[in-house]
Amino acid sequence: MTEASMPTTPHAAPRGSLTTVDARTKKRKAAEARFRMYGIAGIATGIFFLLVLLASIVGSGTGAFQQTFINVPVYLDPEKLDKNGERNPSDIAKVSTFGYTPLIQDALLQQVQDNGIETPLEDRGDMKAMISASAAAQVRDTVLANPDLIGETVEFRILASSRVDGYLKDRVKREDVARDKNIDAEHLDLVDALVPLGIVQKTFNMDFITGADASESRAEAAGMGVSMIGSFFMMLVVLVLALPIGVAASIYLEEFAPKNRLTDLIEVNIANLAAVPSIVFGILGLAVFIQFMHLPQSAPLVGGMVLTLMTLPTIIISTRASLKAVPPSIRDAALGVGASKMQSVFHHVLPLAAPGILTGTIIGLAQALGETAPLLLIGMVGFIASNAPDSIASGLLDPNSAMPAQIYEWAKRADPAYYERAWGGIIILLLFLITMNTIAVILRRRFERRW
Amino acid sequence: MNDMRILERDVDADAIKIAARGVQVYYGDIHAIKDVDVDIQDKTVTAFIGPSGCGKSTFLRCLNRMNDTIDICRVEGDIHIDGEDIYDKRVDPVQLRAKVGMVFQKPNPFPKSIYDNVAYGPKIHGLAKNKVELDDIVERALRRGAIWDEVKDRLQEPGTGLSGGQQQRLCIARAVATEPEVLLMDEPCSALDPIATAQVEELIDELRQNYSVVIVTHSMQQAARVSQKTAFFHLGNLVEYGETGTIFTNPEDPRTESYITGRIG
Repeated sequence: MTEASMPTTPHAAPRGSLTTVDARTKKRKAAEARFRMYGIAGIATGIFFLLVLLASIVGSGTGAFQQTFINVPVYLDPEKLDKNGERNPSDIAKVSTFGYTPLIQDALLQQVQDNGIETPLEDRGDMKAMISASAAAQVRDTVLANPDLIGETVEFRILASSRVDGYLKDRVKREDVARDKNIDAEHLDLVDALVPLGIVQKTFNMDFITGADASESRAEAAGMGVSMIGSFFMMLVVLVLALPIGVAASIYLEEFAPKNRLTDLIEVNIANLAAVPSIVFGILGLAVFIQFMHLPQSAPLVGGMVLTLMTLPTIIISTRASLKAVPPSIRDAALGVGASKMQSVFHHVLPLAAPGILTGTIIGLAQALGETAPLLLIGMVGFIASNAPDSIASGLLDPNSAMPAQIYEWAKRADPAYYERAWGGIIILLLFLITMNTIAVILRRRFERRW
Repeated sequence: MNDMRILERDVDADAIKIAARGVQVYYGDIHAIKDVDVDIQDKTVTAFIGPSGCGKSTFLRCLNRMNDTIDICRVEGDIHIDGEDIYDKRVDPVQLRAKVGMVFQKPNPFPKSIYDNVAYGPKIHGLAKNKVELDDIVERALRRGAIWDEVKDRLQEPGTGLSGGQQQRLCIARAVATEPEVLLMDEPCSALDPIATAQVEELIDELRQNYSVVIVTHSMQQAARVSQKTAFFHLGNLVEYGETGTIFTNPEDPRTESYITGRIG
């Protein structure tokens, strides 16, 4: 460029002082300020709703981690439990929970009378409303495991009924009781009297975290444990299938596949698959894995396979992005010293892309962990009432449930005690998700390299 | 090394290492290299000069088939190294690249230790039987790369932590570690400061003892300083090829003269 091309026209009229803001600048500044304000307002709204969500989850869900128990010494009457007196396990097993219920009710009534509590409830049958229906099974299991206990008086910590539990958690109010056939005001008076004696106690409930689901009428016994194991097995299947398949597919598409119409089409479709509603994958799993391949219903293997299909696009997209982010100079360097294509990818490109791949995989897993819809279609809502290890004896092929499906099941049930447990389940699920995402962040920070 | 010595410089050997005949390169529909014939001598530094986009780097990358990695690139014609057609169907580019090493424009050490950077080539080609031999190869390569004294105490530190000039010499060491016979350099000094450039240029002159070096450069001074033979490319044609002294002092083609005097480019 030479001076000849410089504009020769004289300057326009002199501008105003720099210290006075002209109208145009004012307008531009106002527009910028408005835009910033929209942003701040948006973030503030988001934070507000997040806080409301967290507060309501914690508020409604923490109750599930506590449970009311009744401490009673139960006399294991040999007359009732082992009529032949031979301590023959098969004879003892013949006595069903119906045989145990009166013993427990007697024990509680005895406690009430021994402590001199004034109550109109003088009958053994009146104690029914206080005690969980699972208590008899608990006592029976203890006896079957150790028949020598028969004839002795054993201290038991049995579950209180969900109404008693609800009363101590302020879920069941005195005014509600009038319309409730399951419990009367007298029972609540009795609970009030038993709490100071330490007979009725509200404590931390490990069974909610480790236990199995329970029937509709025994909300107090239901736990997340078995569905957690179901989720764990599914995640195992997803990890074992989706990570190698996803990474191998991405490496092939990114590094080896020719760029043509077909690969373009595949690329577009992978991106689209990531946006397909998960319930569609559920239908696919139902049609292919169960109806066509005749794999068992409700099995974590099938659930894991369906979630693998759902997670693959996420993993492939993030893996390809991290492979793309590796500078081409590294590939040139490897090829330049005579590495084969495969060696350049596996020795140099893949290690550099690893943090991105791991992050994508963990985020994909977290997404799969929280997925409910496809599981409903393949029956991953199995009702498993027996505790581990019986409930998961053959692991991948046994019917099972998954955490989100379990939460969905509980939310559907009528008893308000289940409502509380659904919130509690969400807390557990969120803890898992937060942990997984934290691991993803840490991995990214730790392995990220600048080059 | 001094510009004034150009005329005195003579070629030590005249054995032909690389012979190219009628080389055409196409990028899709673009005809990037047009009918290039050139003979590159052994134990000689040959410089390719020319304006940007003239095809000198493209031609360089034909010599170790790095263009194979570009899908749309098509190479025609014959390139023989030691009388063997490197585009023969039976030639594996992996073996070829062990014989024809390459140094790139931007220093590109692997994000690994200095030792691993140099040891990688010998490892994948199975040049060392054991650790002691490998250590030996690494030391020899680093010495040839004129960087041994600077890094001998920190071989386990990352190669990416070195300065730009050191990185480039590390890349040269990495390239010579596989015992190549030809060393291709694609503007090896364009990302370096003058001091690092001087070091690398000195190194190139030493490398001439053992290798046939082909260097692409934008700097005519550099071509004049380091090379014995110079090829001038323009718009995909090899315009002129000859003794560096002749090209710079008495070019035959008017285009060469225009370029070296700064009128085109």
